[in-house]
Amino acid sequence: MEKALMAFAAALCVLGGCVTGIMEGKVAVKAVESIGKNPDAADKIQSMAIIGAAISETCAIYCLLVAFLIIFILGA
Amino acid sequence: MSDIKIQSTVYSIIIITVFMALLLVYINRKLVKFDPLSQPKGVVLLMIMLTETIDGMVRDKTNDEVAKYLTPYIMTVATYIFLSNIAGLFSLETPTSNYSVTLTLGALTVILIEVYSFKARGAKGYIKSWFEPMPPFVILNVLSKFSTLLSLSLRLFGNILSGGILMSVIYQMLGSVSKLIPFMGQFNIMGVLVAPVLHFYFDLFSGVMQAFIFITLSISFIAKELPEK
Repeated sequence: MEKALMAFAAALCVLGGCVTGIMEGKVAVKAVESIGKNPDAADKIQSMAIIGAAISETCAIYCLLVAFLIIFILGA
Repeated sequence: MSDIKIQSTVYSIIIITVFMALLLVYINRKLVKFDPLSQPKGVVLLMIMLTETIDGMVRDKTNDEVAKYLTPYIMTVATYIFLSNIAGLFSLETPTSNYSVTLTLGALTVILIEVYSFKARGAKGYIKSWFEPMPPFVILNVLSKFSTLLSLSLRLFGNILSGGILMSVIYQMLGSVSKLIPFMGQFNIMGVLVAPVLHFYFDLFSGVMQAFIFITLSISFIAKELPEK
């Protein structure tokens, strides 16, 4: 029973990654749109988009780490 | 002495450091022998392109004076992170899946940020910058420095660790799938067929991407502390 609850908790943690996925997709969409409007600034937009995506990805990685901690430390 | 436990990644860190040193000596020999008037090719061409790319990235965000000292650091970190990330392909344990390693790399960047902030502002301005915009904000400023360290190190650690764990889970799953195939015995045939594509994504692509993201973020955090051009 306890193990099942831990698995459920880890699954709930990773659920936070869903929002990050949607929003990172939004970063990519906006980057493509602005490169389409202004192809000369493609280099700058690309690096800004990668930085933005990387910073927003931190949230998902925290979720993942908490899930790992639950599985491997609480569950062990 | 007996109760000191050596973590298993230490051996792969030593192997990677020795390999990197030998690689750099080899590239140095090639570059010294290279005639500047002839057409560059092979290793020399690769190194020229890599150096130009990273130097361009640093120069784009900072000024020439800073770039002279920052580019070698950034290139070293990029090479080390890249080699560490792809160490899994050579059946070594990935050093970047050990939090001590990524915490050290993050701490190096945070110390560099502080050093450049100190240089740009001077002693008085540096101490003042901790109390901006109002004295009570010192708590938030200290917290923001720690969050830079945590996010830089945990991003690299989390990505590489999750790649490694996913690969081992996939290998186990493929192993039990290939047991269902008759006449093959214990041989993990599905693993041989499916895993290379996943290794390409989780080790090579993710490794290059994370090294690139780490250096891009380091450069832009450091550039934020410099005076306006």
